[in-house]
Amino acid sequence: MSETETVYRTSSARTGKMMIIMLGICIVGGAIFFGMWDYWISQPPPVVAQMSGAVDHGAPAVATGETITQDLKFVQTPDGFTDLAFNALTGEEGHNPTINANVGDKIIFNVLNQDGGFHAFGVTAEAEGFAGIIPGSEVASAAAPLQKGDSDSSEFVPTEPGTYYYICTVPGHRELGMVGEIIVGESEGPAEAAAPTGVSHDFTLNFVESEDGFSDLAFNALTGEEGHNPDIVVNSGDEVTITAANAGKGFHAFGVVASPDDFNNALWGSEIASATAPLKAGESGSTTFTAGAPGTYYYICTVPGHAALGMQGSFIVE
Amino acid sequence: MGHHSNWPEWIYVGVIIALMVWVGAEAWNVERLVEHVPSDAEVIIVTGQQWFWTFEHEDGTKEVGTLHVETGKAYKFEIVSTDVNHSFNIHDYVVLMDAVPGRVNTVWFAPDKAGEHDIQCREYCGLIHYNMRGKLVVEDPTT
Amino acid sequence: MVLELQKPRPVWQIMFSTHHTDVGLLYLIMSIAFLFMGGALALLIRAELFLPGSQLIADAMTFNRIFTVHGTTLIFLFLLPSASAVGNYFVPIMVRYKDMAYPKLNAIAFWMIPPGGALIWLGFADFTWYATPPYSIISAPGPAADMWIFGLKILGISSVLGAINFVVTILKCKHPDMSIGQVPLLAWAFLSSSLIVLVAIPTFAAALLMLLTDRLGVTGFFNPAMGGDPIAYAHLFWFTFHPEVYVLVIPAIGMMYEIIPRFSRKPIYSKSSGIFAFVLLSIVSFSSWAHHMYATGMSFTEKTVFMLGTLAAVPASGMHVFNFVATMWNGRIKFLTPMMWAIGGIALFFSAGAGGVANAAMPLDFTTHDTYWVVGHFHLFVMGTIAFGTIGFIYYMFPYVTGRMYNETMGKVHFILSFVGTILVFFTQHVLGLYGMPRRIFDYPAIPEWIAMNQIATVGAMIIGVSMIIFLINLIHSSAKGKPADIHDPFGLGGKYYYPFESKNPHH
Repeated sequence: MSETETVYRTSSARTGKMMIIMLGICIVGGAIFFGMWDYWISQPPPVVAQMSGAVDHGAPAVATGETITQDLKFVQTPDGFTDLAFNALTGEEGHNPTINANVGDKIIFNVLNQDGGFHAFGVTAEAEGFAGIIPGSEVASAAAPLQKGDSDSSEFVPTEPGTYYYICTVPGHRELGMVGEIIVGESEGPAEAAAPTGVSHDFTLNFVESEDGFSDLAFNALTGEEGHNPDIVVNSGDEVTITAANAGKGFHAFGVVASPDDFNNALWGSEIASATAPLKAGESGSTTFTAGAPGTYYYICTVPGHAALGMQGSFIVE
Repeated sequence: MGHHSNWPEWIYVGVIIALMVWVGAEAWNVERLVEHVPSDAEVIIVTGQQWFWTFEHEDGTKEVGTLHVETGKAYKFEIVSTDVNHSFNIHDYVVLMDAVPGRVNTVWFAPDKAGEHDIQCREYCGLIHYNMRGKLVVEDPTT
Repeated sequence: MVLELQKPRPVWQIMFSTHHTDVGLLYLIMSIAFLFMGGALALLIRAELFLPGSQLIADAMTFNRIFTVHGTTLIFLFLLPSASAVGNYFVPIMVRYKDMAYPKLNAIAFWMIPPGGALIWLGFADFTWYATPPYSIISAPGPAADMWIFGLKILGISSVLGAINFVVTILKCKHPDMSIGQVPLLAWAFLSSSLIVLVAIPTFAAALLMLLTDRLGVTGFFNPAMGGDPIAYAHLFWFTFHPEVYVLVIPAIGMMYEIIPRFSRKPIYSKSSGIFAFVLLSIVSFSSWAHHMYATGMSFTEKTVFMLGTLAAVPASGMHVFNFVATMWNGRIKFLTPMMWAIGGIALFFSAGAGGVANAAMPLDFTTHDTYWVVGHFHLFVMGTIAFGTIGFIYYMFPYVTGRMYNETMGKVHFILSFVGTILVFFTQHVLGLYGMPRRIFDYPAIPEWIAMNQIATVGAMIIGVSMIIFLINLIHSSAKGKPADIHDPFGLGGKYYYPFESKNPHH
């Protein structure tokens, strides 16, 4: 600082110019942001696709063949890491049994965690690792494993021939030995979609909620009331139009799926809205699609958790 | 700097330290008592997932969204999550514990009066975090 | 802006200048702009929460994005840069050096902030300003989430560069005749907060990088499905951000150290205890981070350790409050706008701290964690203490920077409305939290007590909004048409108490 005491000050004109520049930048930014409103939250993180594997689960899981039941239990050496397997340790009889099946057979797994230890179960088509678990085939998960003494069941309907693997889904356990093969041959019975029949159906399925928005969720009517989650039956190849209105206060979306847990994979273009861009209160939408191969499917709300809370019904294709 | 005595400041700091020691000791003691789970507590497995709660009792009964318990018994919640962080909260009974995927957290309580209470999620978990609610129904034992 | 009024400079020369006063003013204008942008989001949130059900905002996703950007903006784009503004403008003057130690680095640090802010605002992520995994890894949609991560990376680097500048300027560039004990308390505040930044921010930079690679699926640090632990992120995050809240508060307290002795026309009660308290606070701020994580399932011992660490910071903060009150005691106080803001700030700082002690006590935290009590508590710090101190200092430096006086009546009205509004919003939210209302919720059940308190809070927020409009009008109008100020004593305090630029008189 000199004796003349330089003073630091500005002027309104300069401050004004700065503010106009900044305002201009904000306006341009705003135009970009609002102009592409849907884009910014449209991409799920890449790890999600990796965790669910590259297998296309879009093909319907049609259970037209036999039902095969396989009891499995997790076994391990007492130290917990030398050898892990299903049913019997390496070298013993019954070790990691191989299951033979055909396309369309329903394989039911009864899984028991007898010895304790951290285990969970699933079926995957991947030759290594724990990703790509096919929805519906899981028992517990690596994050919330099966407790000691607990058992549970799941099912798997192979849609294509090939080799699948049933594994323990806790990271590393497959590599330590908890894996068995499911060898799937060609289907014996026809399980294809019929040609379009030209018959059209119209259904109305409205999302309804209980007053508090969470204790009861359903289609058309709440639990116990008439018209609750109606069954839908159509023929393969029929054209189906579904109109869905959101009569609740929350967010919903619609799709026909092979299993109520499989909310990410709606079949045949049957989606109305989606979990990431759902129908808001009062909104409605409709979809028209052709019913695929015969089998038992489910129509659900595809917002995660809503099917488990009651928003599901049977969609049977004959 | 000022040439004044500093004793008011020393006394003030002494009072604050004494207060903090008292708060710390009381909190330590209460938390120690609160965390002691009774050995006869009945285990309920609480699963949090986007965006609802499910409960599994010791006898295998499963409940979705609404949990029924009885007065006069101690319950130990083993809380798990299948996807993201949630937090299991029964505010009226000061039951609060995070549901973190990959671990099991434990908290216990012993309801003493029949009634209905809210269960809420107290850790942001996404779109419908605000309505990840449930109901705790406390009933008197039937027998 | 450094100007000899005879030679006005074009705007772009000011924008790309590296002189500390220009950079300081750039920081100030940008941070005030973000104050209004983040504040507008707050008013949106409060309007939406006025009643249960959807008022203005159609869906929960938009609401979640709004509060995420509100928090991120006000912390990283208002509070931190406004402290840097004051620091850049005055620290070289206070240590009697010609500029900051690294002027070009200084300008670079500033110019990193607008792109960082643009990334945050153009994406509008939804995972709260904590970005906690696993939600931020497996559930938060991109590219908004990734843009937020990159934006914060850039802002973190800017903070570290600024901190390096402050530390070197104060320690190495101070005038040779000035001992470290003679450096004014405001400069000590910047020294302390910069040292905390240098230790704390790199941890978060690492955590951000890990978050990004986890999102890409390349690593599994925090993703349980890939063998990781979400709680690891919580530790890394809070290890940075608990000290970071002290980085935010310490400059504001330093600003109060400028205002209070001058407007009390009395020397500061004890400069050495002020210095001691700053240094102690900086160290102790690192010992308490996991008090944010009591409910994650920590063991009793862990919780106890962090509770003790939290309580240990209280005496240091208390020393500052004592210093201020003892300075005002028996002073000839002139209640002008800057002084009112500083005193209001101290009162709210004390209330915030008192509420914080309740949170520190482990069992009490289980009542208040992640409810509106916490929202009220931290807003009393960031709004009640830091924003009040900063706004008071803006009024204080206004005549110095612009050569004109602001309108005193409008300044006082601004203070009264803000003070009343702040109490209405944030004290009420403490009670609301005790009644159980969780944070970060778009809608709530129609519980009468919750509705009533939300409405009180909304009214308070609108009052603050009105007061900020008055502030803006005052700032703009007075800088153009205000009465020219007496640069040596704009507030009419009398001869002995000088502005920072005359601190070659180290008489207190």
